[in-house]
Amino acid sequence: MDVSVKGALTPNAWRAASHLRRSIHSMAWMAWVAAIVVIATLTRNPWYLGLVIASVAFVRRRCAAPSESPHATLLSPVRFSLLVITTAALFNMAMVHVGATVLFTLPPWIPLLGGAWTLEALAYGALNGAALVSLFLGFSVLNRATSVRSLLRLIPRAFYPVAVVTSIAVSFIPTTLQQIEQIREAQAVRGHRLRGVRSWLPLLIPLLEGGMERALQLAEAMTARGFAGGVETRDRWPQMLTLTGFVGLVAGWLLQIVWRQQEAGAALLAFGALLLLTGLWRAGRRHPHTVYRPEQWRARDWLVAVAAGAAALAYLLPLFARETLFYYPYPALSWPAFDWRIGLATLGLLAPALS
Amino acid sequence: MIRLEHVTYTYPDAASPALNDVSLELPEGQLILVIGPSGAGKSTLLRCLNGLTPHFSGGVLRGAIHVAGLDPVSVTPRVLSRHVGFVFQDPEAQFVTETVEDEIAFALENAAMSRQEMRVRVEETLDLLDLTPLRDRPIKTLSGGERQRVAIAAALALRPSILALDEPTSQLDPKSAEDVLNSLVRLNQDLGLTIILAEHRLERVLPYVDSILYLPDDDGPVLFDDVRTMMGKIELAPPLVRLGKALGWRPLPLTIKEGLRFSRPWFAEHSVAALRRSKPQPARNGEPSIRARGVKVRFGQQEALRGIDLELWPGEIVVLMGRNGAGKTTLLRSLVGLVRPHAGVIEVAGQNIAGQQVADICRKVGYLPQDPNTLLFAESVEQELRVTLRNHRMDAEERKIAALLQRLKLHDKMNAYPRDLSVGERQRVALAAISVTQPGALLLDEPTRGLDYAAKQELERMLREWRDEGMAILVVTHDVELAAAIADRVILMSQGEIIAEGPPADVLATSPLFAPQIARLFPESGWLTVEDVLGANGRCQD
Repeated sequence: MDVSVKGALTPNAWRAASHLRRSIHSMAWMAWVAAIVVIATLTRNPWYLGLVIASVAFVRRRCAAPSESPHATLLSPVRFSLLVITTAALFNMAMVHVGATVLFTLPPWIPLLGGAWTLEALAYGALNGAALVSLFLGFSVLNRATSVRSLLRLIPRAFYPVAVVTSIAVSFIPTTLQQIEQIREAQAVRGHRLRGVRSWLPLLIPLLEGGMERALQLAEAMTARGFAGGVETRDRWPQMLTLTGFVGLVAGWLLQIVWRQQEAGAALLAFGALLLLTGLWRAGRRHPHTVYRPEQWRARDWLVAVAAGAAALAYLLPLFARETLFYYPYPALSWPAFDWRIGLATLGLLAPALS
Repeated sequence: MIRLEHVTYTYPDAASPALNDVSLELPEGQLILVIGPSGAGKSTLLRCLNGLTPHFSGGVLRGAIHVAGLDPVSVTPRVLSRHVGFVFQDPEAQFVTETVEDEIAFALENAAMSRQEMRVRVEETLDLLDLTPLRDRPIKTLSGGERQRVAIAAALALRPSILALDEPTSQLDPKSAEDVLNSLVRLNQDLGLTIILAEHRLERVLPYVDSILYLPDDDGPVLFDDVRTMMGKIELAPPLVRLGKALGWRPLPLTIKEGLRFSRPWFAEHSVAALRRSKPQPARNGEPSIRARGVKVRFGQQEALRGIDLELWPGEIVVLMGRNGAGKTTLLRSLVGLVRPHAGVIEVAGQNIAGQQVADICRKVGYLPQDPNTLLFAESVEQELRVTLRNHRMDAEERKIAALLQRLKLHDKMNAYPRDLSVGERQRVALAAISVTQPGALLLDEPTRGLDYAAKQELERMLREWRDEGMAILVVTHDVELAAAIADRVILMSQGEIIAEGPPADVLATSPLFAPQIARLFPESGWLTVEDVLGANGRCQD
């Protein structure tokens, strides 16, 4: 198996080298973020949300490589989080006029704002803000720890061309920003002063044309290196299968929702999903390609994925004191309950920071 | 190997064909240079070899093409990618991934090669182009020459038997271009790779190539022969060959080494005439148009300019040269206020520009950025000029606009859509758009990029005319022959500092990197151009 080539790395050294680059598998990171999404959607309990934010912030400090782009440091995450929580709290207090602890009252004839401004509304708004912050922090860690390209690798093979094209589109954003700057300068050089929206209009034409030209150049470069966007084949099966599968899914869902046919609907849903997957699999075989340096799934990735999964399940399944999740400050602010088992499961989100 | 039979190709919606009845046969294992004026179909011809034309571009192709035993029209570019590697002009525009290794592996992944085999291929390809030390580097951190070598490596990963390159050195400084060309020669000699290269800068590539394919832009015949024969047949030639032809040197020298065999004895006979007739330095009177003192610019931690002193006087052409990344463009940009120095003073027409808006500064200084396309957005050539005038709240005098267009030979293109014009014409429109305010100084960044020989001569003529009318002109360029032809004064920059300054004969002639061909042939003479030598010859015969 081992082919010895002058200058080539041995497979082990190779694997070691590729590990240096990305320590946790993108799929494990995805599981971790999914757990955060589940928790942030399900609970408004300040204890649990606080634990989530603290864990994520800790992971962020430990794992995420500092981003190279200067834009990332424009707004510190702490300041952004405080801003989100304050805004959400004030907004909720201004809009929702229920709750026992009235802070002050505005005359009722003022539309929307009029009425009692309560501590309960302020608290609930802040909790909503905290849920948003945990989502934001989770995704910001994902963004810094993995590259867009490694995430796109996770897209099924049938969508390979789509994945590559998307990854290129993503890398076009910085180039386009650069291009905007270039064009803005070029216009300033011609005495163009930028005031208001109308003065930006002339910049659109060179920007669009330049963007089109670069996109075409890149597409050409990719074609020249064997990247085939649309492979022409006579195989119509994938299309038929995916289409039928999709129709099956929609019909099954309608059966369940509209006509209340639970079993028949479920069967149709399962059948549709099966067809869809088969179609995608067949389509994937039309785009043979290999991956030069696939990510390695190691023990640590298991740890992250399992811990994140456990955390999510603690919130999803009625195993523990599920009622503690739905903390609701109305009508009168009360001390939120805390279940130590759910709290412990939440700490599973710290897994990426271990080792 | 490569055979074209009566190939006629027309782009979609084009009135006339880009290739008209081209028949040719290119031999295996040679390094072939494709030359010809802009619009003669060089790029189109290269794209025919790997099927990008017509598969990617559409249009109508008639005739037959055979490449490596395949017909590019009937098989897909995907199949051809295993036989023909392709490198594009702009290194930036062809990268799909972020790191060197991944970029090389891209073609292999598309070919569904096994991982074991891919590893071997990537290693070999890295070795071939001396990229092993750079293997893990993000592509955006590489220099221009390194990037172009990565692009070549990426094109070679599938081990094609043919490599086609579309102006691969047009954006590189002389040293980086030499590195890229040396890599190509080694690939050609060690692997027997057939290399087909389109390039405008003959003086750079001629010593390396075996044969030349000439595409005319009119109905003239397509010519193909070995270099020496071709140089005898066609007008287009680098200074060395032009001189050789003018003085009747046989066999025609193609490299400096060959040229020196003729130039040494010739110089011994004519040395009297070489009594240093340096160009008369233009008289300096009044104020300099631009004066910079102690200009320092910093980008983050990196110092881009470390204390630049510069004066640009009316009626002179100053050429600014240096390796990629020496700070030349930064200096130009700071002179019009696009970059603000953290120390030092810049005065334009006697006024400090600190605090002035770019738009106001540019009324007195015309600045042509590297990519003139970013300047153009109006509906017609004439409108471009009017927009600039309107921006500056200046009157649009019909007579003046007409005169400027006449001068730039754009009068018959007055109503054309600027982006439909040729590279050279587009550049002239951009030049017109920035100079319609009649600024006292003109700053040009790489103005000869992508220009063919005729367009370059046209540019030289215009710059000289403006200079003679008292304009101050500063040109940043990698093109040593342009510098030799137009410079009154040359400034060399390195790492953000000016390292040499003076008349071109002093600065250029002694530089191993920036010496033009004629200076290399006659090291002691102070001659820089063919005209210098022939002038001396004339004086000798008087």
